[in-house]
Amino acid sequence: MTRRFGIVIALVSALFVVGLDWSLGVPPDPYRAPDPMAFGSQSGASGAICTFAPGADK
Amino acid sequence: MAQLVAIGLTAIAIQPIIAYAPSSLIGAIAPVSLSMVAAAFVFGLSMQMILGCGSGTLVNAGSGNPIALVALPLFCIGSFLGTLLVPFAIESTPHIPISLTASFGVSGSVGITLLGLFVAGLIASRFSTGSIWNKKLLIAGAVLAGLAILHVLVAGQPWGVVYGLGLWVAKGAQGLGWDPASAQFWVHPINASALSSSVLTDTTSLTSLGLIGGAALAAWQGSDSQPLKQPVAAWYFVVAALFGLLLGVSSRLAFGCNVGALFSGIASGSLHGWFWLIAGFTGSVVGVKLRDQLWLRASEAAS
Repeated sequence: MTRRFGIVIALVSALFVVGLDWSLGVPPDPYRAPDPMAFGSQSGASGAICTFAPGADK
Repeated sequence: MAQLVAIGLTAIAIQPIIAYAPSSLIGAIAPVSLSMVAAAFVFGLSMQMILGCGSGTLVNAGSGNPIALVALPLFCIGSFLGTLLVPFAIESTPHIPISLTASFGVSGSVGITLLGLFVAGLIASRFSTGSIWNKKLLIAGAVLAGLAILHVLVAGQPWGVVYGLGLWVAKGAQGLGWDPASAQFWVHPINASALSSSVLTDTTSLTSLGLIGGAALAAWQGSDSQPLKQPVAAWYFVVAALFGLLLGVSSRLAFGCNVGALFSGIASGSLHGWFWLIAGFTGSVVGVKLRDQLWLRASEAAS
């Protein structure tokens, strides 16, 4: 087997994540997409951020 | 040096614009704590054991690297387990979020950030055997900084990796019957919203999927002439899986990986990014020594 097989596995896995999410009843909704231009939109960022720490400020 | 330049350029741009539009943009500000420092140390060690950090594991997996392909699923599961442990960590030890921008103003924060990066560069040059200036890497660093700035402008938040991985597993666990209401982390409106929306509307998921796709594209040519098998014994894959799990748990407890916490944290003016740098680097030094020993044994066992 070659490295290409590994690449195909990675790509299929990525597609599997999206497909599974879709099949669980959460299809992509373009109206809930991340802000097309957050700067100045006043709508704020999506908030789901790596450094997010709920409760840390208490 | 290119990494320090990339962080510095990003800091110069994003700290003022985040301060200018706080209702639209947020920085990667996270708390400093004992558990956060310990987790960053474990992350630094783990990333050496699986030959990839947060983004590095995604890139390696996208490039068809078998060790990364084994470690990545466990990395995702670990990130999810980390979300279950975060509330306990926050309640157990004091967590103090310190924003340099809030404490010293934008110009003071940018100045402190650049001074810190300069000192880090001086230390790196002192311990480096060759030149730390590489033209190609500096150009790549500048391009990376440009993309990181664009990320803040478009997504409203700095670049991160790990959150999306934990989100994917949380969604899968929910599909298997797990109740997110039982987890303090996922009850929070921001995370509950992410859980009920498509992964294609989650910023960190999009960039992580993009990393895998981009790496696959870059590695595709010539990949059919490279063997998939690694010259190590099978037990090293078990080691990689274990440290992949630790990578995920620790990245959540450290409030980000080397991208979300170190790169974006320092660039945003978060003190926790600097603590992450010191702890992660120390863990990395230990990890290099441990990896060399285990890799040698695994290579000898395979031959």
